[in-house]
Amino acid sequence: MLRLSVAARLGVAAMLAMPIVAPAALAETSLTVAVSRDRYSIDEQKFTFTTRRPAAQIVETAVMPDENFLPQPLLFQSWDYTDGIYTVSLREGVTFSDGSAFNADTAIAALRLYDQGKSDFLQIDPESLQKLGEYQISFRSETGSALVIENMTHRGTSFFAVTENRAENPVGTGPYLLDSYDPKQQITVTRNPNYWGEAPSIDRLTFRFIADDNARMLALQNGEIDVIGEVTPQMLLSMPQDGSVVLHESRPIRYVALFANLNGVAPFDIIQDYKVREALAWAIDRETIASVLFAGRGVPAKGILPGWMFDLGEDHTDGFGYDTAKTGALLDEAGWTLGADGIREKDGRKLSLRLVAAYPNVSSVKPMPEMLEQMFAAVGIDIDLVEVDDSGVYGSTYLDTGEADLYMEFASNNNTDPTYLLNNLFTSTTPWGGYKFTAPGPHVDTLLADARTAQTREEVIAKVRAAHRAIVQDDLAAIPILMVPNFTLSRPGVVVPMSEYADWISYGHTTIAK
Amino acid sequence: MRRFLFMRLATALPTLLGMSFIAFAIVSLAPGDPVMQELRAMGVVPKPEDILAIRAQYGLDKPFFSRYFDWLIRALQFDFGQSIASGRSVIDEILIHLPATLALALSSLIGAIGFSLALGLAAVSAGRATGAALRGLTILLVSVPSFWLALLLIYVFVFQLGWGRLVGDGSIGDLILPTLTLSLGAGASLGRVVYERVRAEMCEDHIRLAIAKGLAPPVILFRHIVPRVIGPLATTWANTFGALLGGAVIVESIFGWPGLGQLILQAISQRDFPVIQAYLVFMGLGFFITSLLADFIVILSDPQLRREVSNG
Repeated sequence: MLRLSVAARLGVAAMLAMPIVAPAALAETSLTVAVSRDRYSIDEQKFTFTTRRPAAQIVETAVMPDENFLPQPLLFQSWDYTDGIYTVSLREGVTFSDGSAFNADTAIAALRLYDQGKSDFLQIDPESLQKLGEYQISFRSETGSALVIENMTHRGTSFFAVTENRAENPVGTGPYLLDSYDPKQQITVTRNPNYWGEAPSIDRLTFRFIADDNARMLALQNGEIDVIGEVTPQMLLSMPQDGSVVLHESRPIRYVALFANLNGVAPFDIIQDYKVREALAWAIDRETIASVLFAGRGVPAKGILPGWMFDLGEDHTDGFGYDTAKTGALLDEAGWTLGADGIREKDGRKLSLRLVAAYPNVSSVKPMPEMLEQMFAAVGIDIDLVEVDDSGVYGSTYLDTGEADLYMEFASNNNTDPTYLLNNLFTSTTPWGGYKFTAPGPHVDTLLADARTAQTREEVIAKVRAAHRAIVQDDLAAIPILMVPNFTLSRPGVVVPMSEYADWISYGHTTIAK
Repeated sequence: MRRFLFMRLATALPTLLGMSFIAFAIVSLAPGDPVMQELRAMGVVPKPEDILAIRAQYGLDKPFFSRYFDWLIRALQFDFGQSIASGRSVIDEILIHLPATLALALSSLIGAIGFSLALGLAAVSAGRATGAALRGLTILLVSVPSFWLALLLIYVFVFQLGWGRLVGDGSIGDLILPTLTLSLGAGASLGRVVYERVRAEMCEDHIRLAIAKGLAPPVILFRHIVPRVIGPLATTWANTFGALLGGAVIVESIFGWPGLGQLILQAISQRDFPVIQAYLVFMGLGFFITSLLADFIVILSDPQLRREVSNG
């Protein structure tokens, strides 16, 4: 009787509490993410560019990268590549947000859109697109590449429904719908109630465009935003240590490296001597640099591609330690002997190198250039340090002209095509002009050309591994310094599902402590 | 008056033409390839023919002067092309952001005028100690960089007092802190002008006579001093307004105010040259229009000049 009475009382209490609890349970969850700038383009010709961060919640790609950057099913359920032909089974039961079905016809129409853009890096032969069934298609690569599916993990290749104004009002199959867009201010997306996949935990996502680093940090501390999506090294240096800001990090993916000008003309021809490059590599105290920059989260690098990526493995490169005695010996061997002023010289020529710290801007790596300058000065190498905060000036003034010995770059391979980064930065046929100066030569050109036409993934990876080793070890076209994680900052109680690839951070699945 | 206006516009034409050329040349000759920059930032590998097509789309494949004259003819029709970064027409971009900048510049000017009059007149009538303190305040406010003042105001009003928010949405309430930041700096500079003008006027014979006649100070101020100083002050206000239009870039950036400052910062970083060129032209036009207005105010406030202009 007593138990019944207690149960009845609890029941009544629960009913009375319902009005209080129910709204909380049904309350809309929202998340505001600050990003530095509005990248959203409404140009029909560049519609592939509208698929990054904010709009990436609205449209989806064919495949998504897994933790090793290998493509996994998304809108493509499965695929096969045989004799130069891709045969794809599409995911069934998926609809675009306007209600139209995602099937072979709409998938082919979406793929054809790429050919209308000016930057068709999928390189699908549009004539080869074929409907094999309601949910099956096939196509061929224009270049015989076996990496088309890998390239489809790039957010730029998202599938749009073919609508009148797809750039301004994109219709996709993604977990969110475009709610509002105020240029240079914010973009808001709301949960797609008919999403085919796992529903995101956040109902409303707002991306605020806040250019100023300080303003982003202060807004986070003031509770006006929940997450900072783009974190600069300066923000890490000034991050409050009182627990009001939480740092989230991925595995290290971004490299800081010194690219060597291997094909420059005098006076930028000193480091064409491998011994000088090797001497530089041994003169860098990576542990000290790692402890100073990036909140101490960077790690000494053995390459510019992390070992976990593409299953490359950690052991195909050896890396370089910190050994100034070895540096001295190598420079002596190369004929560079210490002069009276502490600078090494050879045949009356000083060992003076121009180091340009610029990509994406010098602020990203401060104070690393000065630290390197001191480390090199300690072994008798004079550094003419050029710091540029503008990648445009960097490109046209120093890189494209080859008017420097060393180029400091802070970037990452943001593509699941294993050949992407190496092919662009270290081949004589690079589409990005200035990097012809950092190309080691025909052997790397051949390795990467073979990798791009290899017909199995294993073959591709083997060639890329060999090219990577050549670039960062045997030829030292790039002297690796640090590998750095991708960062976000949040207020306490917010857990961001990090990804090494900034475009693949699923803010919709952020968890917020009650 | 019509003749004056005609002459003023006629003399402005070469200036505006020269300004348009400089705006075009600065941006065109600046290092950095917007197309390659955008493509690399986006991680896109185009084919060489794609790059050529994009260059042709933006007219970058033509010689400099041919590009300039094409641009000038279109600019005369207020067609500045398409933003490389956003894909919108440049005029649309300007029109999206111009109202916010105008609101900020106008409210800052009003604040600066009010502050400068209070500061200048207080300094004129202050004793030695108060005068020194006011001069010190003026020097301090003129010397403090706007970004530092902005951060200080954020610390006090947002973090300590909780009276405002940092990241607004362009509403009126969000205008207060950026306006205050700009008003204090500009007002301090203007306050010195007010002080000097009023002091100079007070040494004139007619003011001495008014004092000798025993007129009340407010009467002397409003009836005898203000009409004489309003013309020169209006010129300064007009120049200040022009400077506020173009000089609020950092303040807009810190407070996230969605004005032209935000637009131009992004445009510069992305080498969005059609936007930069149009911005420079608009800023030049802004200065021209405000200085024209100032000329009118000077004429209207000075009977002698008014007579001269009326008589041709």
